[in-house]
Amino acid sequence: MSRLEAKKPSLCKSEPLTSERVRTTLSALKGIVASCYGPSGRLKQLHNGLGGSVCTTSQSSTLLANLSVSHPILKILTTSVQNHVSCFSDCGLFAAILCCNLIENVQRLGLTPATAIKLNKHLLSLCTSYLKSEICGCRIPVDFSSTQILLCLVRSVLTSKPACMLTRKEVDHISTLILRAFLLTIPENAGDHIILGNSIIVPLKGQRVVDSTVLPGILIEMPEVRLMKILPVKKSDSLKVALFRVSLSGDLSDTGEGSVVVNFGVSLENAVLDQLLNLGRQLVSDHVNLVLCQKVIHPSLKQFLGEHRVLAIDRVGAALMEPLSKVTGTHPIGSLGSVSPSSYGSVKDLCTEKFGFKWFFHLIPNEATVCSLLLCNRNGTAWDELKLTCQTALHVLQLTIKEPCVLLGGGCTETHLAAYIRHKTFNDPESILKDCGCTPTELQLIAEAFCSALESLTGSLEHDGGEILTDMKYGHFWSVQADSPSVGNWPDLLTRCGCGLYNSREELSWSFLKTARHPFAPLPCLPHEAVGSANNLTLDCFTAKLSGLQVAVETANLILDLSYVIEDKN
Amino acid sequence: MALRVINKKRHLGLQQLSAFADTGRTFLGPVKSSKFVIDEESHESVVVSSTVRLLESLDLSSAVGQLLSEAVQAQHNAYRTGASTLLFLAGAWSRAVEECLHLGVPMSVIVSGMSEGLDSCIEEVASLHVPLHDVFDRIDGTQVFSELESLNASLCPFLQVPSDTGSIPKERDLKDAASQALTTSSLSGRPVKSAKPSGPQATVDADKNTSQTPQTLRNSLLADSRCRQSVVTHSRHCSREARAERTSKHGAAAPQPCRCSDLGELAVGLSHGDHSNMRLVEGAVRLQHQNTRVCQGSWTVPFTFDISRVFTRCLPGLPETFSCVCPGYVTVVSMFSATMLEDLQNQPLRVVLIEGDLTERYRHLGFNKPANVPTVLGSMRKLHQDSSDELWANSVLQVLIKFNVNLVLVQGAVSEHIIGKCVHAKRLVIGAVSGRVMQAFAEASGAVQVSYITQVRENSVGSGVSMTFWRSSPLDVGDGISRMAILLKTEGINLVTVVLTGPVTAQMQAKEDRFWTCAYRLHYALKEQKVFLGGGAVEFLCLSHLQILREQPLKKGDRICSGGLHNTSSWLASPLALYRPTVLKCLADGWHKYLSTVSCNTANYSSEFEARTFIQHHLQNAIDSGSPSSYILNEYSKLNSGVFNSGISNKLEQIPRVYDIVTPKIEAWRRALDLVLLVLQTDSEIITEPGHTQIKSQESEGFLFL
Repeated sequence: MSRLEAKKPSLCKSEPLTSERVRTTLSALKGIVASCYGPSGRLKQLHNGLGGSVCTTSQSSTLLANLSVSHPILKILTTSVQNHVSCFSDCGLFAAILCCNLIENVQRLGLTPATAIKLNKHLLSLCTSYLKSEICGCRIPVDFSSTQILLCLVRSVLTSKPACMLTRKEVDHISTLILRAFLLTIPENAGDHIILGNSIIVPLKGQRVVDSTVLPGILIEMPEVRLMKILPVKKSDSLKVALFRVSLSGDLSDTGEGSVVVNFGVSLENAVLDQLLNLGRQLVSDHVNLVLCQKVIHPSLKQFLGEHRVLAIDRVGAALMEPLSKVTGTHPIGSLGSVSPSSYGSVKDLCTEKFGFKWFFHLIPNEATVCSLLLCNRNGTAWDELKLTCQTALHVLQLTIKEPCVLLGGGCTETHLAAYIRHKTFNDPESILKDCGCTPTELQLIAEAFCSALESLTGSLEHDGGEILTDMKYGHFWSVQADSPSVGNWPDLLTRCGCGLYNSREELSWSFLKTARHPFAPLPCLPHEAVGSANNLTLDCFTAKLSGLQVAVETANLILDLSYVIEDKN
Repeated sequence: MALRVINKKRHLGLQQLSAFADTGRTFLGPVKSSKFVIDEESHESVVVSSTVRLLESLDLSSAVGQLLSEAVQAQHNAYRTGASTLLFLAGAWSRAVEECLHLGVPMSVIVSGMSEGLDSCIEEVASLHVPLHDVFDRIDGTQVFSELESLNASLCPFLQVPSDTGSIPKERDLKDAASQALTTSSLSGRPVKSAKPSGPQATVDADKNTSQTPQTLRNSLLADSRCRQSVVTHSRHCSREARAERTSKHGAAAPQPCRCSDLGELAVGLSHGDHSNMRLVEGAVRLQHQNTRVCQGSWTVPFTFDISRVFTRCLPGLPETFSCVCPGYVTVVSMFSATMLEDLQNQPLRVVLIEGDLTERYRHLGFNKPANVPTVLGSMRKLHQDSSDELWANSVLQVLIKFNVNLVLVQGAVSEHIIGKCVHAKRLVIGAVSGRVMQAFAEASGAVQVSYITQVRENSVGSGVSMTFWRSSPLDVGDGISRMAILLKTEGINLVTVVLTGPVTAQMQAKEDRFWTCAYRLHYALKEQKVFLGGGAVEFLCLSHLQILREQPLKKGDRICSGGLHNTSSWLASPLALYRPTVLKCLADGWHKYLSTVSCNTANYSSEFEARTFIQHHLQNAIDSGSPSSYILNEYSKLNSGVFNSGISNKLEQIPRVYDIVTPKIEAWRRALDLVLLVLQTDSEIITEPGHTQIKSQESEGFLFL
C-alpha cells in the first residue's frame, strides 16, 4: 500500500533585507571578508573542527568555497563573487566588501529600490567610462619594454596575501620567477593571434622559498631513485616520443554486468601481455625513444622497452597530459590496437634533475611555451596559499597583456574614483537627472552612499586602528596613526600615499575621509615622469578590478531588488 | 558553519601555542629527560625522549595544535634535527608576542619588526661559521689502516670474540679491503699525502693559497666562508708562526672562528653528548669514504656522505656494546634454515631482486583484476592435483634453478610456501628488503630489479654476493623463535648497516632516533662544509646583536620596509621606530629563555634565575666589549666547550669543541617565527563542518553562525 504525503506549503518571506537576522549575518560576512583585506589583513583558520587539516588563508576563493552560508541572500553574494574570482582570480575580496558596503549604505537611506538601482547603475557606468577613458587619473599604461611595472604588479599581488609568509627578499625572488615563468609562456614568433602557453606549478614543500626556480619544459616526478642507466642513449638532435592515454598495465577491460568464461589453461592476462608486447615491438620498430603513459605500464613491457633502449615513464598523471601533448606535438594514444606513426612527437632532450629530495625527469622541448615553476615553501599551509597567489599573479599578467594598463593600488584608485564621482554629481547633475528621472536629493543621497561605500572599502585596508585621509589634489589614499596630535604637521606624519606614487613633501592639503569636504576635481592624467621614477608602486590589475566593481554593484542591485524569498520546504 | 573570534582580549591561539610548546621543554639541549605518555583510557604508555615522538603521541586536534605539528613534522622531514628548538622557540616567542600585544604594539609592527630582527640576526651569525677544511685528508693514505684497526676494536666488538667461527673470515675481509685501499691510493698517481695534518707547514701552505688581498673582513666573511682568508688564532691545529704572520699582516684583525679539519673532532663536536651514537655515525662515514676510494680509485669527485645508503638494524636483547658498523646489509633470518645458511656461507651467491611481493596473487600496482572471469574445464582431461599455488611455486623454483640463483631479495612480502620450498632447494629468500638496499645491491652486483619472477633473464641476475653470520650464536628476541643475524655484501657495495643493540626493548626506538639525529647532523655539516660554533654561542650572539640594535636609534629616512610592511605606505613606519626596541626585546627574550633552559637542563645551574643572571652578566660584557662576536670567540677559546659551561677546567686540550649545524638551525628559527606570526595574524577560526550543534552545546559563547 502506498501512502501519499501532502506537500508542505512553500515558505514565503517578504522584504528579506529588512529582517534583523539577515542584517546580522550580512554584517558577519562583511566582517570576515573585510578583516582579510590587504597586506596587513588578518588570517582565517579553516578547519572542520574534527581534527582535519587546517588551512590558514586570507584569499576570497578559499574562504568563500569553504563558507557554508544558509541564507539565499548570502548565497547570491558568495556565488557571484566566486564567479568573478574563477574568471579573473584577483579582486574577490574587493568585490565582496564593496557589495556589502553598498547594500548597507543604500538600505539605510530608505529610498525605493527602483530609484536606487537605477542611480547605482548610472554611477557604475560613470566609473567604468572614466576608468576606460584617456583622462583617467588612476590608470597607468603598461610599457612592455621594461619589467618595472609588471614586477610591481606581481609584487603587489604577493604582498597582499600575508599567509604566504614571505620576507622581502623572498617576495622579490618569487616575483622575478613569476615574471620569468610568464615570459616563457609567450611564443617567440607570434602572428596576429598570440596563444599563451601555460606554466605548471610543481610542488616542493618543506624547502626554503629561495630554492624555488623556473625551468622551460616539463618536470615529471620520478617515483624512485632509479636513474642514470635508464636514460636513452640515442643522442640524435631530438627524441621520438609516444604518449599514451590508455593504461598499459595489462589489465582486462571491465566486464560490467556480464561475465567472461574462459577455458582451463587459457590465461587472459598472458593474452593481454602478448598484445602489449606486440605494441612494444611496433614502438621499437618505429624507432621511438621515449614512451610516456598517463597510467601504469606493465613491468614486462617496461623491461622489453628497456632492453631495446627505449625509456618508459609511466604514471604521468592526467594534469600533465595536455601540456605534454602540446610540448611534444604528439596525439595521445587511446587504444592498444594500432598506433599510427602520425601520433608520435618529439622532444629536444631529456635529463634528470634533483631538487630538494625529489628527482625529476626534465623534458626539454624543441620550441614550446610551457614552463615549470618549482615552488617551495616551509610548510604546507603557507605553500597552498603561495600556490594560489602565484596562480593569481600569473593570471593577472595574462589579463594585463590583453588590456595593457594597470590601476593604482593601495586604496588610491578607490578614493580617487570617489572624489571623481562626488565632483561629477555635484557639478554636473543635470545629465544624470535627465536620464534617471529622479530628484537632485535622491541623486545626492545615492552618490554619497556609493562614494562612502568605496571609501569605507579602503578603510578595510587598515587593521591596526589607523585613520584614513585623502589629499585634495589627487584624491589619493593616505593613512595616519589613530590619535595623531595635531593637524598642522601632516607632511611629517604622513609619508607616502597608498600606491606609493606621491610623497607628503608635495604641497598638498589633506582631510579625513570620514569628514565632509567640498567636492573637488581630482587631477586627471598622470604625469609620465612621476610614473617613470616611482620604483615601488602598489598596482592592481585593471581588468580584474573593473570586473570586481561591476560585479559588486550589480550584485548589490540584485539583492536590493529582492522583495520575496520563496523557500520550497519539501 | 561557525566562526570564532580568537583574539578578543587575549590571543587564544598564542596561548595554546605556548601551552603546547611547554611540554617539550625538557628535550632541549644535550641532556634530555624522557617522558612517559600514558593513555588514560587504554592505560598504555610510551617512553618518549624527542619532540617529534612526543607530538606524535599527543592529541593535537585543535587548529593551532595541527599547525604546530605540521611545522615540526616539516622540519623533521627536511632535516631530522632542530624540532626541539622549533618547539621551544615557538613557545617562547608566542609568549613574548603576547606580552607585546599587551603593551599595545600594533600587530603589523610586531610582524615586520620580528621578521626584520630575525633576518638581521641570521646575517649576523654568519660570523660564527666554522668552515670545514678537508676533513677527509686525515683518513687519507697511510692513515686508513690504523683508523680501520681502531674501528675494528671499538666498533665491531664481535670481531674480538675468538670463539666466533663466523667472525674470522670477516675480519680478514676487512683487512683485505683496507690494504687494497692502500694500494689503490698509492697507484693512483697522486702522491700519498704526508700524514702530518696538524703540522704547522701544511696549515700555512693552505692558508697562503686562500688568502688574497686583505679586504674588509666582514665582506669576505659574508661573501664566501669557505675560501675566505682565515685569521686563525685559537686552534691547536695552527702554529704560532701562522698566527703571528696573520696578525702582522692584518693589524688588529678581529678573531675569527678557527676552521675544523678533522672528522673526529667534528663528530665529537656535533655529538652533543651522545658520543656512542656519534661514534657509530663516524664509523659509517669512514666506511663509506673508504669504499668510495676503493671504487673510484682516484680522488676526482669530492666525497659526500650519502646518508641514504646507511641503514639501521635494531637487535634488542643484546648488550649495548654489541652495537657496530658493518659494510653490507645485516638482516635477521629464522633459524630453521641454519644448515642451508652454513652451506651458502662460503660461496659466491647469485642474486635476483624482486620489486613486488613474491606471492602468486601479487600483481603490479595499477593492475585491476577483473571480477567476472570464471574458468571452466574444456574437456574431461585429468585434472591436476596440485593447486595453482603449488604450480606457481614450482615454476618459481624452476626459474631459480635455471639461472642458478641462490639468493632472492624481495621488497614486498614472500609467501611462506616459497620460503619453505627454497630452503629445501638450498636457496635463501629474504622479504621486506628496503628499496634503497635493493638499489645498492643492483649497483654492486649487476642485478636488475624485476617485478615478477618470470621476468628474470640471464642479464638481470647479479653475482658476487657473499653471506656471513653476523654472530654465530642465535638471537632470541623474546618470542621463542630463534633467529640468526646474517651479513650480505658484495665487493664495493655502497651500503653500510649500523647494528643497534640494547638490553631494553622499550628504548630501541629512542636509540634509533638518536642515531639518526646524529647521522643527519654530521650529514648536513659535511654537505654544507661549514658548522656553527656550538654551545649556545650562536644564540648568545643573536642576543647581544639584538641588544645593540635596540640601543641603536633608527636613522631618519632609513625606513625599514621588510616583512609585512614591505611596499605599503602605511603610517606604521613611525610606530615601528617607536616600538622597535620592544619588539626586538621580545625576539631576544626567546633566545634568552632558550639559553637559560638549556643551562638548566644540563644542570649547570640549579635555577633558571641563576642561569639568567649568568647570561645577563656575559651579555653586558659582550656589549661593553664593542664587538660581541669577537667577545664570544675569545670566551669560547677560554672555555672551549661552550660559553655557558662556566669554565670549570683550564685543561683546554682535553675539552672538545662543540659545533652546531647551520641551515637546519636557522630554518628551525624561521619556522618557529613563521608559525608564531601565522597564529598571531589569525583573528578567527572558521569551522566548516555543518554539525555545529555540538559546539552550540559546549561553548556557544563566542561563536557566530552564518
